[in-house]
Amino acid sequence: MNHHHRYPPSALAGLAALTLVSAGCSTAADTSPAPQPSASAAVPVRTGGAIVIGAEQEPDCADWIATCAGSIWGTYIMQTPTIPKVFDVRRQGDNWVPVASELMASEPAIKDQDRPEITYKLRPEAVWSDGEPITSHDLKYTALQVRDGKDIFDKTGYDRIASVETPDDKTAVVTLKSRYGGWRTLFSSGYGVLPSHLLQGKDRQAIMKDGYDFSGGPWKIKQWIRGTSVTLVPNDRYWGERPKLGQVTFQFTPDTAAAFQAFKSGQLDAIYPTPQLDAVEQIKSGLPGANTQVDAQTGNLEAIWMNNGTFPFDSQPVREAIAYSVDRKAIIERLYGSLGVKQPAQSFLSPLLSRYAASAFSKYTRDLAKVQQIMSGAGWAKDTDGVWSKDGRPARFTIVSLAGNKRRELTEQVLQAQLKEAGFQMDIKNTTPANIFGKLAPGGDFQMGLWTLVDTFPDPSLSNSFSSTSIPTEANGRSGINFMRAKVDGLDKLLEQVDTQLDETARKEASAKADELIAAAVPSIPLGAVPNVLLWNQRVGGPIGINPVEGPWWNLAEWGLTQ
Amino acid sequence: MLTFVTRRLLYSVPVVVVASFILFVAVRATFDPLAKLRQGHDPSALQYQITRLGLDRSVFEQYVRWLKEFAGGDWGVSTRTGGAVLPMIGSALGTTLQLILWGVLFAALLALGIGVYSAARQYSAGDHLFTGLSYLGIALPPFWCGLILIQALAVWPKQQFGLAEPPLYFVGLHSPGLSGINADYFRHLALPVLTLTVGLVASWSRFSRASLLETLSSDYVRTARAKGVPGRRVLLRHALRNSLAPFVTVVALDSAVLFGGLVVTEQIYAIPGMGRLFLDSMLAGDVFVLLPWMVIVALATILLNLLSDAGYAALDPRVALR
Repeated sequence: MNHHHRYPPSALAGLAALTLVSAGCSTAADTSPAPQPSASAAVPVRTGGAIVIGAEQEPDCADWIATCAGSIWGTYIMQTPTIPKVFDVRRQGDNWVPVASELMASEPAIKDQDRPEITYKLRPEAVWSDGEPITSHDLKYTALQVRDGKDIFDKTGYDRIASVETPDDKTAVVTLKSRYGGWRTLFSSGYGVLPSHLLQGKDRQAIMKDGYDFSGGPWKIKQWIRGTSVTLVPNDRYWGERPKLGQVTFQFTPDTAAAFQAFKSGQLDAIYPTPQLDAVEQIKSGLPGANTQVDAQTGNLEAIWMNNGTFPFDSQPVREAIAYSVDRKAIIERLYGSLGVKQPAQSFLSPLLSRYAASAFSKYTRDLAKVQQIMSGAGWAKDTDGVWSKDGRPARFTIVSLAGNKRRELTEQVLQAQLKEAGFQMDIKNTTPANIFGKLAPGGDFQMGLWTLVDTFPDPSLSNSFSSTSIPTEANGRSGINFMRAKVDGLDKLLEQVDTQLDETARKEASAKADELIAAAVPSIPLGAVPNVLLWNQRVGGPIGINPVEGPWWNLAEWGLTQ
Repeated sequence: MLTFVTRRLLYSVPVVVVASFILFVAVRATFDPLAKLRQGHDPSALQYQITRLGLDRSVFEQYVRWLKEFAGGDWGVSTRTGGAVLPMIGSALGTTLQLILWGVLFAALLALGIGVYSAARQYSAGDHLFTGLSYLGIALPPFWCGLILIQALAVWPKQQFGLAEPPLYFVGLHSPGLSGINADYFRHLALPVLTLTVGLVASWSRFSRASLLETLSSDYVRTARAKGVPGRRVLLRHALRNSLAPFVTVVALDSAVLFGGLVVTEQIYAIPGMGRLFLDSMLAGDVFVLLPWMVIVALATILLNLLSDAGYAALDPRVALR
């Protein structure tokens, strides 16, 4: 479940690429890799009051385990504030790591054996919003719903559960069929823990899909008006720290330019825009009275995906030559340089997982002499148009990305120019996300693509994207996301080790080796992290900072109106 | 009139059926109903949905099943949200109707006024000014126009005059926690309606001017003038009524287009209407929403066509409805 494809906030966002800002504001941009305490952290806040936050995407449904879920914005605005989890993701040193949440009485322990056993001990005072205790039966219910359910978004990890024992109300023992390195994602990333006393034997989807009135977190969903807003109010029964604000409304504002205007006019107190070109321009121009945080340590990794099963990318020398043709640093600087983000990615593991990553792709910098050498060595020669050609077939191909996404269109144009200079002819043909991720990519009906891979938990798992068993086929229901049809010798074994090792050091070693193999075979090319950007006005205070997994509102309970 | 309406409605049935079949085939050929599911990692979910949705049957069988259920009020379930399609479209339609109602009413009155003024004072400075403004209005893309209006009528006044809040809002149709028709509603409605109005007034005012000028050059108008009927009476009582018939037709037909054509306006102002529903469904490949959405827009077009014919007959006694 760690990797998802993120849809664009709006195909029309690019239409509104108009800058209508006044200059002369003060912003406090933080361009370091991790969020630092913001200026407003020191500002005292009062109890009570309400704020309105802009949300650029509306979740499709709130039944978090069903196929209709999977929206990262759903996680941010409803799931994180209301659904208890076993592990939270918190910053420790330079990294974001899973730590036992307030739900747990102690750190969950795993016995390393052929059929590992995980013991979860729940905090005695943990209760649902109706006063009923959160129990081991809730863990069992959640596990079995995911493992045995029919319309489940992702069963990864849960399909390894052999049994769930509940020796007492506050202890659950989960036995796995085999070793699973990502065991911390269970009851955490994506799903959390659901209340069995309210859902057992009932139609879970009917109860949850349009929002639910139960909560095991600091907030409760007061109202979800489809297409308009989600309103949260404090959960009076929450056993941890009570929220300071009396109400938070997330107003859906799909148009980035209009969202910035609403922020400037005070209709929105905070926004978390995708760094499209117009958003970057707005921030660069300045926003009066705004606090800004830019965080490059994200789980979002933009990459150039090459279909290894199709000409000309079925040739490793061609893929290598492409990697030496592209000036990734120049592209990243052009896109995010003004936000202080200038370095390309050197691994397919996002910055969120940097502790597991090698920097194997750093050898690929633009070097046209190297391109010449590789292509000539592989039997290619330039034709009269200056395009590499072999056996009468020119190195001409098409790139596909999301139509209307100005950032990607600009990236494609820069790529096109760089590749032309290197002797490759690239055409651009963009389309809708549904067409790409529903049809073209799973069917292998593309040559080159440009899209983002999103890590939703600090746990390394490239097997979904790079293992040869994850190539979408009829046999696996076309459900894998190795869309590039990569088959790298020795990689499956290493990725399997990363997936199954329980020893952290061994996982890191296997992951770094996998990174080296991937870089050597160049099945595709990582481009760069897509930074997260948070803006809030001076009405709002508290320890504000972006959590790359749980979103910018992970600690919303501590936010308040400034005194 | 009743016979005419009944006959036209009956004629519409095969039109809707044929149109819905063409749409069904076109949508199925273009979109994958399981697009979103393919991003998940559970192969069994795919097979479950294929069986549940009947996607393993022929396209014709699927269409017949869909048509029967559609006619029976069961419009299916959205693959995007898991919710029933009928209330989704009902809610979006209700929202868009609010924009259309206010926008068309406002634009028609304004366009008519400008048209009458321009026709009565042809080639005057005012006529030239309105002509220039209407060309500008026609040329302005809605997204640009919307953002300019937001800046000029909401953001700028707030910043310039140090107001606590902008005079007009532009996110949704109500402030959080409020509902109903009240001052807050109109403060939210003003800008999207104005955005919608700019383009409509620009084209309709040109049309009403041309139509009125043509009527004013008719023999019966010349006769009325020769008989000494006052100019204002000739204009408003004799010429205007006859020039209204083609104007009403254009207004009705353009209004039909608005049912599905407010994508950009609704996107900018965060209004959950038919345009945004179409966009969200299209991006997610949600065929179970797209199909009824298209049928509803087709029905709106048919109904408004019918309305324009009836209106034409009501305004022009020479036209008989059969």
